[in-house]
Amino acid sequence: MGEHAASLSESAREATKYVASRYDRTPKVGIILGSGLGGIADLVEQSTCISYEETPCLARSTAIGHQGQFVCGRLGGVEAIVMQGRFHFYEGYATDDVTLPVEVMCGLGIQRLFVSNAAGGLNPQFSAGDVMILSGHLNRMHCKPQPGVPGGPANAWMQSTLRPYDPALNRIARQIARQHDFEAPLGIYAGHLGPNYETRAEYRYLRRIGADAVGMSTIPEVLVAEAHGVRTLAFSAITNVCSPDALSETTAEDVLKTAEEAGKKISKIVLGIMQHSLV
Amino acid sequence: MLDLYDKIEEAKDFIASKWSGTPKTGIILGTGLGPFVERIEIEAEIDYESIPHFPSSTATSHRGRLICGKIDGVPVVAMEGRIHLYEGHAAKMITLPVRVMRAMGAKWLIASNAVGGMNPNYQAGDIMVIEDHINLMTDNPLIGVNDDRLGPRFPDMSEPYSLKMVDVALSIARKNDFVAHKGVLVSVTGPNLETRAEYRFLRLIGADVVGMSVVPEVITAVHCGMRVVGFSVVTDMCLPDALEPAVVDEIIATANAAEPKLRALVAGIVVHIGNSQ
Repeated sequence: MGEHAASLSESAREATKYVASRYDRTPKVGIILGSGLGGIADLVEQSTCISYEETPCLARSTAIGHQGQFVCGRLGGVEAIVMQGRFHFYEGYATDDVTLPVEVMCGLGIQRLFVSNAAGGLNPQFSAGDVMILSGHLNRMHCKPQPGVPGGPANAWMQSTLRPYDPALNRIARQIARQHDFEAPLGIYAGHLGPNYETRAEYRYLRRIGADAVGMSTIPEVLVAEAHGVRTLAFSAITNVCSPDALSETTAEDVLKTAEEAGKKISKIVLGIMQHSLV
Repeated sequence: MLDLYDKIEEAKDFIASKWSGTPKTGIILGTGLGPFVERIEIEAEIDYESIPHFPSSTATSHRGRLICGKIDGVPVVAMEGRIHLYEGHAAKMITLPVRVMRAMGAKWLIASNAVGGMNPNYQAGDIMVIEDHINLMTDNPLIGVNDDRLGPRFPDMSEPYSLKMVDVALSIARKNDFVAHKGVLVSVTGPNLETRAEYRFLRLIGADVVGMSVVPEVITAVHCGMRVVGFSVVTDMCLPDALEPAVVDEIIATANAAEPKLRALVAGIVVHIGNSQ
């Protein structure tokens, strides 16, 4: 187990111990793949797959387009642990269920976390298929921390989050995007509880308070990683443009299809940044 | 959510043993709007307490009865008294009656509530036809494993309130010569009313009125494939720079006074739906 093990909750320690028993190297990077972005996991070499089901204390994922396993091995020449599938509040999970896999990755010793999600674009400059890099977030998820674990994730929620998204990583990520001849704009991600998509009035509200994209994940994971001293690079795959004055219906199938297109761009950035000295 | 299906069926079967009709529309009556039931030719009255799995209402001025009957010959089922999130129930439980109304055959839901008016062009006693909503509540009725028999995992919310029926409602108000607005409802968990700073915030984000209900029921109705018409009765004005303490008795009195307008709108919509099918 890595240097963060001491600050883990008991269940996180038990889960970390199990994963470490199946995968004996120390990952440098943790990666969480959101809806339709699972492709990166196929690029992991010498991989060990560990399902959430077999890992003690972990919940099971029910969302469509999500498998539930850790894929551990070498990605772009760097030791990495990939979460293929994640837990969402809208599935009925408690905060600890959602964040436990991130704690496991922190416990194994990751130094950087890369996170992706599928999000609706609110910034009128965005198009479906774009990739937004998170410069900050608006937490509208009504996360309820579980009290009682000193130094554990519960307290992590109470800490101020000065800079969960690393500006240096963001700069490099945007540079890699340019090298691949596409733009990856910075933006603010609003996290909503879901599971219903937003109304037109809600899109107007979120835009007015400063959001560029809206989704139903990422924030709890990022906050917990930061509490363990792990900086994050996070991507939103813009799956549809939510113009409140010309809103069309959103279906989960369309979202997944566009997420796959954007996912290819995210993969390029992730593989590129793996080679960088900062990682 | 996988436990809901059987509960819905049990509640539906119990109601069917008391009333054999098939409602075209489900109706939910908000604070002070209970007298509307006088407009219904009642064929059966069932206390919530006797219906399996129905939560019971504790709020002021809300009775807890399911009214089955007809409005001008159109079969309806109406909830006299609703259950609020602030009473401590989970959102998926307070919205169970909506799913039961759907299971009974209702394809439309008419939901009403008492609200605070924030749009300065509104007045206490006015009716707002809900065109859209902003959900600021801390619970969502669809959280949990989705039961695909009931509806989709990620329901679309591009038109939760039938925009066609918004126009029909506004024309009914014109014919009856009273003011009706079209606007945006923001729902909060409550139960405390808002501070002046919160009213400014809610107005700033685009809401015309604020209330503590309707939205969970509407999300549930959209999830189970119902079309929705919503009415908010402005029972007091919440203008942050001229705010007066809210008096519950006055709010209920204003709601009662506005009830005839709501009666005209709901009955008009019920008949319109009845004729168009």
